[in-house]
Amino acid sequence: MSIEPITGRYLSITVGGAARRIYFEEAGQGRPVLCLHTAGADTRQWRHLMNDEGMTTNHRLIAFDMPWHGKSLPPEGFETDEYLLTTDAYIETVLAVMDGLGLKQPILAGCSMGGRIALQFAALYPERFAGFIAIEASDFQPAWYDIDWFHRPDAHGGEMGAALVSANISPYAPEVERWNTLWMFMQSGPGVFRGDLSFYTQDDSLIARLGDIDTARTPVHMIVGAYDLTCTPEDAQRTADAIPGATLAVMDELGHFPMSEHPDGFRPFFVDALARMPKARG
Amino acid sequence: MIATLKDMQEQLNSAPHLVRLGRLFSETVLLGIGEDEYYLTFDKGQLVEVTPGPSRKTPYRFSFHTDADALERFWQPIPVPGFHDIFGLVKIGRGRITGDILSLVKNLRYFKAFMALPRGQRRAGA
Repeated sequence: MSIEPITGRYLSITVGGAARRIYFEEAGQGRPVLCLHTAGADTRQWRHLMNDEGMTTNHRLIAFDMPWHGKSLPPEGFETDEYLLTTDAYIETVLAVMDGLGLKQPILAGCSMGGRIALQFAALYPERFAGFIAIEASDFQPAWYDIDWFHRPDAHGGEMGAALVSANISPYAPEVERWNTLWMFMQSGPGVFRGDLSFYTQDDSLIARLGDIDTARTPVHMIVGAYDLTCTPEDAQRTADAIPGATLAVMDELGHFPMSEHPDGFRPFFVDALARMPKARG
Repeated sequence: MIATLKDMQEQLNSAPHLVRLGRLFSETVLLGIGEDEYYLTFDKGQLVEVTPGPSRKTPYRFSFHTDADALERFWQPIPVPGFHDIFGLVKIGRGRITGDILSLVKNLRYFKAFMALPRGQRRAGA
């Protein structure tokens, strides 16, 4: 028997003038690292790192479920709302969570859409962060599928979404973690994955901002898995090339959900990324 | 290839969890491998018939076209990137899907598991 060191609590914030009840988890102490989950998933993607004593001795890892995801509620009136994530709402949510938790200049680590928004923050709000770790992140990815497949009354969007994203998981991933990763997608609420993909596959506003990122002030380190079909190493390289001073590491044996699908394989890449980040400024 | 497909048929039909996954799937799928065509008739999750083509008279719900070399790489115990998933084959230009793609997506986990059956067998060292 064992009890994990991760603790979970709820935070009330306001986004777009409306209340949000946010679930967040944290573990460890030291330099704060705010971790953002991918589309269609939740904080559980970060649980391996948060349970890693070697990681939490010197870092306070914090992850939260975006509204509509995991244990964070959708906003009041969601039953008549169409969930479509936007860059502005995403930014406002992350900043509100940081303010609510009193986080001063954390390292921002985001995967997939979380990595995309991390790069948006690097361009738009660098002063709020110590540095950026953008995992499976790129400037823009148009959909190679129809996002409407994943929200329809005659089929289970979560099961279809999981079957789709399984294309992005490496064959090196341990089976148990492959399926734990897919389970989050299977549990995703109706229309949530689609709403995330709307942001991920239709908002190309980052492209024009990449050149504005000042990595001398706030470093940007990117990490990408070779088995990622959604954000390929070529996509990540193109993005890194457009950010002066950005660095990129390619993980030969990992896919789109590295911290979740293959924690042991991902760990050295995350350790390396953290080593590239400066201590928080006073 | 017909022997491999027959073997896949036997594996599928003797895997209760796959038959249960495909219990609502009763369709014919055209599998194109290079110049060769095979019509796979599924009924309630069982693969009941493997019929070599070509046939202009056999209706099918969707098709998946690839080539023998790509399929061989797809079936490796640890495929290289791009060859690890049927959508990967499509993305790298070694696969093509036509027809009712929504029918495929609704049954994607099932169809992917079926297509990957030889990989599992090779992993097991059979």
